[in-house]
Amino acid sequence: MKALFLARKDISSFFHSWLGVLVYSLFIVMTGAFFFLLLSGYQRLSLEIARGSVPDIQHVSLTQFIFGAFFMNLGTLFTLLVPILSMRAFSEEHKHQTLELLFTYPLSDYDIVAGKFAGLVWFLFLLILPSAGYIGFLHWTGVRLDWGMLAAGYAGLLMLGASYLALGLFVSALTDNPVVTAMMTFGALIVLNGLDWISSSLEGPLAHLVQFFSPLGHFRDFTLGVIDLGHLLYFLFFCLYFLFLTLRVIETRNWKG
Amino acid sequence: MSGSPEKLKTLPPENPVLVRLENVTKSFGSFQALDQVSLEILKGDIVGLLGPNGAGKTTAMRILSGYFPPTSGKVWIAGQDMSGQPEKVKKHVGYLPETVHLYGDMSVMEFLDFAVKVKGVPAAERSKRIEEILFQCGIWEVRRRLIGQLSKGYKQRVGFAQALAGDPEVLVLDEPTTGLDPEQIHKIRMLIRELGRTRTVLISTHILPEVSMVCDRVLIMNEGRVLADGSVEELAAGLVERQEVLLTTGDSTDGEILKMLERVTGIDQIHIQSTKAGKTTLKLVVSAGAEIGPVLTRLFVEKNIPLYELRISRLSLEEIFLRLVVQENPPAVAL
Repeated sequence: MKALFLARKDISSFFHSWLGVLVYSLFIVMTGAFFFLLLSGYQRLSLEIARGSVPDIQHVSLTQFIFGAFFMNLGTLFTLLVPILSMRAFSEEHKHQTLELLFTYPLSDYDIVAGKFAGLVWFLFLLILPSAGYIGFLHWTGVRLDWGMLAAGYAGLLMLGASYLALGLFVSALTDNPVVTAMMTFGALIVLNGLDWISSSLEGPLAHLVQFFSPLGHFRDFTLGVIDLGHLLYFLFFCLYFLFLTLRVIETRNWKG
Repeated sequence: MSGSPEKLKTLPPENPVLVRLENVTKSFGSFQALDQVSLEILKGDIVGLLGPNGAGKTTAMRILSGYFPPTSGKVWIAGQDMSGQPEKVKKHVGYLPETVHLYGDMSVMEFLDFAVKVKGVPAAERSKRIEEILFQCGIWEVRRRLIGQLSKGYKQRVGFAQALAGDPEVLVLDEPTTGLDPEQIHKIRMLIRELGRTRTVLISTHILPEVSMVCDRVLIMNEGRVLADGSVEELAAGLVERQEVLLTTGDSTDGEILKMLERVTGIDQIHIQSTKAGKTTLKLVVSAGAEIGPVLTRLFVEKNIPLYELRISRLSLEEIFLRLVVQENPPAVAL
């Protein structure tokens, strides 16, 4: 409960900052651009199918064509977005030395990490929420949508985003320089993204192994409408692992002074 | 306070102990910031923690505020053991850090709203509580301004306000007047006096006059230990110069060396500090006046006992006092 007060404070301070407003507006503009590019792509394709210049692709639904790619695009965009969100979490408080006071408030370290994490995930949720308007728009035009797939896609986005944010939170606890935090988080996320294409250039069990560690690999099934327990567990452990590390890092004040 | 008989049983009739430290030690790596500190502070006391920079004041206060736990030893606040669930005990303590760093991008009201929420003030009482502390700390007129834009004096008061947010029984103020101009200092001291009427206040400072102005009781610290405890007058009257001798000798401490040292006049106390690698380090407390150095060296040479190190420090209370008195307006130094 108290963790939520901290989460709310962080969100409100993010919206108070020019960075927060900038990130929010840019993200809305970019998701809008993705949507309209994909929508016009689908329109072109269906025109060509109608003209008979392309064979009919019955099995690709509109939901799949537009939102499958839309979710993948957002997932990739998180690589850029998450470092900017998470760099403030602890680094900013380290930098302005406001953590000292926070540690003396009736909050456990667990509350503090949970609150910071909840604030970040909450903000991410607020970022992807407006894109649901596109679904509403398509629904309004009378298009038949695959609701299950959309739900899976959003669940996947939140899972992927939360995992990246947990990693970012850990990095931000390590240093008191937000820019360094952002760079390090970005680097780590690039490496994680890289696993996905490394695995595609490999063969056999090794490819499977690398794929197993790749968040994007687990995320892809969500964009196809598949919610698999294995994927859920992967993201859950990803988050818990980095949150646990974050907890350990903020405990170091006990012996570093 | 006039409650049922059960309540009276749990609350001792007068001056209950609100803060209790028992053999509290804090070390950072090999550095010993606090060394076996034990003390009790009663309800309604305004206690000054006095000592030069690096004496361990900030460490002691950070332990009381729950910032970090001690390496060993126990801390009780309002009868509750701090090692169990510190976040429950922290509710009873309001802490003003040495340099107040607040969220610059929040307004005073927003920040205090956050503070009262986190400190567990019930929803129905929050706005009243905020109003009270805004008035008490004299920041009503700046309540809508961003903290980052306030002057240092006002920031300090916002720091006081957040310490008071949870209506704590114990206030821990780390150098509350450092870096303020004389008028602000005066106002802050008045505020502390006022707060001390209803709460237990622990103030650290390295300015002696401040203590005599504000505090009922003084604790003098140096090198992580409490050297003296009493009112300013008692301490000033009872100043005795002491010497402390650290000596390292061979490992033949089967009583021979100790017996030998006990016979030397002037040595009041003997402690075995450490024994390792065939060497023993002893700490002696020697009363004033005795020229102990030559006496000891002669003794060891006569008895043909190896003496590896002999260090005499004469940092007396008086010297600490003098150092403090001279530093009436020291630059702000972080520990």
